[in-house]
Amino acid sequence: MDRRTFLAGSCLGLLAFTWECGAEESVKLLATGSSTVAPLVAELARRFEQSHPTIRIDVQTGGSSRGVADARRGVVDFGMVSRALKTNESDLYVTTLANDGVSVIVHADNPVQALSRADLIALYRGEIDDWGRLGGKVGEPPVVVTKAAGRSTLELFASYLEMPPEELKAAIVIGDNQQGIKTVAGNPNAVGYVSIGAALQAMAAGTPIKVLPMNGIPATLEAVADGSFPISRPLNVVTRQPPNGALAQFLDFALAQAQSDIVVAMSFVPRHGQ
Amino acid sequence: MVEAATIAPPLGARSTLGIDTLVWGVGLALLALFGLLLAEMFAAGLPVLSLEFITGEASDAGRSGGISAVLVSTLWVVALAVGIALPLALGTALYISEYLGRGSTLYRLIHGSLDVLSAVPSVVFGLFGNAVFCELLGLGYSLAAGALTLVCMIVPVMVKASVDGLTAVPTELRAAGSALALSKPALIGHIVLPAALPGVASGVLLGVARALAETAALLFTSGYVLRMPDSPLDSGRTLSIHIYDLAMNVAGGDRFAYGSATVLVILLLMINGAIALVSSYAHRRTTDS
Repeated sequence: MDRRTFLAGSCLGLLAFTWECGAEESVKLLATGSSTVAPLVAELARRFEQSHPTIRIDVQTGGSSRGVADARRGVVDFGMVSRALKTNESDLYVTTLANDGVSVIVHADNPVQALSRADLIALYRGEIDDWGRLGGKVGEPPVVVTKAAGRSTLELFASYLEMPPEELKAAIVIGDNQQGIKTVAGNPNAVGYVSIGAALQAMAAGTPIKVLPMNGIPATLEAVADGSFPISRPLNVVTRQPPNGALAQFLDFALAQAQSDIVVAMSFVPRHGQ
Repeated sequence: MVEAATIAPPLGARSTLGIDTLVWGVGLALLALFGLLLAEMFAAGLPVLSLEFITGEASDAGRSGGISAVLVSTLWVVALAVGIALPLALGTALYISEYLGRGSTLYRLIHGSLDVLSAVPSVVFGLFGNAVFCELLGLGYSLAAGALTLVCMIVPVMVKASVDGLTAVPTELRAAGSALALSKPALIGHIVLPAALPGVASGVLLGVARALAETAALLFTSGYVLRMPDSPLDSGRTLSIHIYDLAMNVAGGDRFAYGSATVLVILLLMINGAIALVSSYAHRRTTDS
């Protein structure tokens, strides 16, 4: 064995040694699933880990279907699903961490008080060129705002309209909620849709927007939390067995009132209200 | 021929100006596009950059704090991937260019599979890596699994660049080596490889650039965890995935997405600069000799 081979060998040995050192005795929970729920769970997990140093929660993504499939196969400790479970998924145990709601917003000066589902479909098909047709100011053309492809808010709103997300036509395409709120606040003819949590916070801060009711149900956090608001969905965690041990500890922690600030910061609606 | 000669001058004289402006216009448009992209990126991203942003720990789902864990994960994945891919790529390149006959079936087969491999969409590599490295080999979501997936993606790029470097070695050098009765391994080790080094180096840099920019393949392999990794067997989030998540999934994450994107673009610009340096060095060397 010449010197170089020896050197290479010992480097490898050292590497293997440091790898071993990294593996401490601890419980590790693995989660996969919805990319909407993942940042929320990851942030809850980060706070949980600070007070529970022996438990580590690794959050991965992959989509709700993957969360269901992985939880069912038992390859993960829990799955994350950003919708209500389907009837053929009733074999799984569900914990709802929070709710997500979307509301339609217009400028505060817009006289429109409500928009029906049919009105919204027409707006997002680009068929309306005058607010007067929907009870607004005659002669003013609506400026339709939508979210960029792939945004979960877009998918939720599109499924309410029963339109494929790519068929929503708009004059302005925005990224996140704040951008949508700013756009509508800055244009008296704009109409858009954003997360309810973000919209109500902005209104409380004095931003000139108006949240419209959907199907006659006012857009409130309570209506979202109890599931009665038409454009809302639960953000779920699913497991194959009833949660126990470290996972039960984590879910109890995540649902506690003390953690609702994290839920609010992600523009979701906590289960206990704010 | 006579007809062509009589027609050509007036046509040429008339159209040169038009074609010139068109070519200039296209060039300028491209430049403007690149400039716009950088300006928009830096305008939103540079104000975010600070020492705290580079060295701090992420909090609030990545909307405050820093990206130190992301940078360390990125470094692990890229270093491991290039470290594993280099010997593989170099070996393959040497075999192709020094041992295999140009026309042989095996040569065409290897070349064909490299072409196909470099055209496969990265999300396919991600699913493959998840099935093979994470599940079959039991690595789980880990930096190591991500790196091995990237190896599959960057080896073709590195082989091609290395083969180009090897075939560019002047025949006179090989002839001189053979005249000295050097054995084939000695010829390769002492003459061909050193001369081909710039080509190999640019292959490595191309691999690094591709690894840095990768998102889809890593989402399913090295994963999404925003914690400082203890070892390559931990899951860790790379820069591209961090940008994607902040931009798409985290409300109010856009500001830090731009900050992270600025860091990534600066890294890529540095690597591109290095590639340019290495290739101009290579060009000088081959034209000098």
